[in-house]
Amino acid sequence: MNSIELKQVSKSFKDGSKTIEALKETDFSVQPGEFVAIIGPSGSGKSTFLTIIGGLQQPSEGSVFIADQQFSELKEKERAKRRFKEIGFILQASNLVPFLTVKEQLMLVNKVKKSNIDQERIKKLLSELDIMDLADKYPSDLSGGERQRAAIARALYHDPTVILADEPTASLDTSRAFEVVEILARETKNKKKATIMVTHDERLTTYCDSVYIMKDGVLEKKLEE
Amino acid sequence: MFLAWREIKHSKTRFALIIGIVVLVSYLVSFLTGLAYGLAQENRMAVDKWDADGIVLTNESNLNLDSSMFDEDISDDITSPEMAELTVSSNIVRIEDSEDTEDNIDVTLFGIEEDGFLNPEISEGNSFADGTVVADQSLKTEDGLEVGDTLKISGQDRTLEIAGFTENAKFRVGPVLYTNVDTVESIKYDDDQLSENTAYPINSIIVRSDEDLEDVAVDNEDVEVYPISEFINNLPGYNAQVLTFGLMIGFLVVIAALVIGIFIYVLTLQKASMLGVMKAQGISSGYIAKSVIAQTFILALIGVLIGFGLTIATGLFLPTAVPYQNNYLFLIATMVALILFALIGAVFSVRTVVKIDPLEAIE
Repeated sequence: MNSIELKQVSKSFKDGSKTIEALKETDFSVQPGEFVAIIGPSGSGKSTFLTIIGGLQQPSEGSVFIADQQFSELKEKERAKRRFKEIGFILQASNLVPFLTVKEQLMLVNKVKKSNIDQERIKKLLSELDIMDLADKYPSDLSGGERQRAAIARALYHDPTVILADEPTASLDTSRAFEVVEILARETKNKKKATIMVTHDERLTTYCDSVYIMKDGVLEKKLEE
Repeated sequence: MFLAWREIKHSKTRFALIIGIVVLVSYLVSFLTGLAYGLAQENRMAVDKWDADGIVLTNESNLNLDSSMFDEDISDDITSPEMAELTVSSNIVRIEDSEDTEDNIDVTLFGIEEDGFLNPEISEGNSFADGTVVADQSLKTEDGLEVGDTLKISGQDRTLEIAGFTENAKFRVGPVLYTNVDTVESIKYDDDQLSENTAYPINSIIVRSDEDLEDVAVDNEDVEVYPISEFINNLPGYNAQVLTFGLMIGFLVVIAALVIGIFIYVLTLQKASMLGVMKAQGISSGYIAKSVIAQTFILALIGVLIGFGLTIATGLFLPTAVPYQNNYLFLIATMVALILFALIGAVFSVRTVVKIDPLEAIE
């Protein structure tokens, strides 16, 4: 089974009379428990790639499958539903809601799903990420590293198939950055998630199973050195 | 509700300010409602006190009580389950011995039959007789008069003694003095020796009906029976007042809705990137929109309830001369209208929420 599979996916934009190919035809897949890094200079199409997988935009050609099910061709509303269920996002700075405590960030998932709040699961997850003491704090009271750990907890809480991390360490110093990526790698293995991390910091890829380089819309696998 | 309430709790100052605006507006609206209702009541209370269904006036009177004059005998041409004659006179009275023109009080004298249904319930003292009157309670509460005090009729040597008081007897924003027809006529024609042979005209005949005036018939070409509601609407100035206040209140409600709507809209714009992230995570526009609506509802409800409380409290401390009166039905209706319009105002923001592109939040 593939958690993520892209079949001949490409994306092009019209810019006036010119057509810009942001992503050239790509085949790509990630298995459960696999941690993939995508590196490349800014403007290379990394974010486009990630947002197509996340269903925030549709590919011009080809299809995206999540958990072996057609995803990219679903209607916007259906995609939002699937996204909520299958995909956990971790973004650069703050994808936390500023007026919710760490614990409430997780509870929001239950509120949206109209399911019961699983206090045990919240406790377990926060302890695993070592932020149990911060459960009742607001994002503004947390350090950058703590915030990203809270964001990881939030992304894992609804038990998605896929985790998409867009520059999750951008606002952190080196040691914090390593710590966060290490946690991400550990959770990927333990919980059998398919994780894609977009980063520009090549040193962080030591924790990853495979590394891809994005350059001018072309995705290439980086060979083991 | 989850998001809506947490956000209010987290940004207390910001939301306290918005609630403050709602409080002021709803205070103003409900206070105006009370004033409008109070003023309207002072125009018509004495009429409502009749508990009547119709009023017989001359065709030529333009539904004006004073200009309708007809012979008492016309009552023979009227068939009705219950009827009572009414003679009115508008006068100015002053407490006897007072020289100060500021003590002048505009009153309407109602000349009625002692055994008719127009005779009001006495709240203090006794019923009227020749030369004595039953006065509206406001002469006691506002002008400090007591039973036994004497009123001098302005421009005449006649005096009237207060025999008793009755409640809610105001007509055209002034107190009513009830007395018998002879007393009113002698004042009206400034003549103590009313001739036995002259038929003095009365102003109207008030009728009660069991079937919406269907059972009232008038067999005379000079007079007509009008429904009481039509008569009230034609009281001088009454409709103009009611419409003016009604328009003011209506506009205020709409302005309040706009203000709340704009506030919520600005707040939503401020949060756009955060909402974009939430949408990227797959939280539906519907959920976020519901939360915006719920928030508006909470803000409007809290604001309106506080404004309501302030109004009631103010009503307790107002001097009795202010024609203020609470009508809970009207108050609640305006409060509900305020909340409803605020929710309509929030609909702008819902459009914004729907239009936020999660892609922009990520890139």
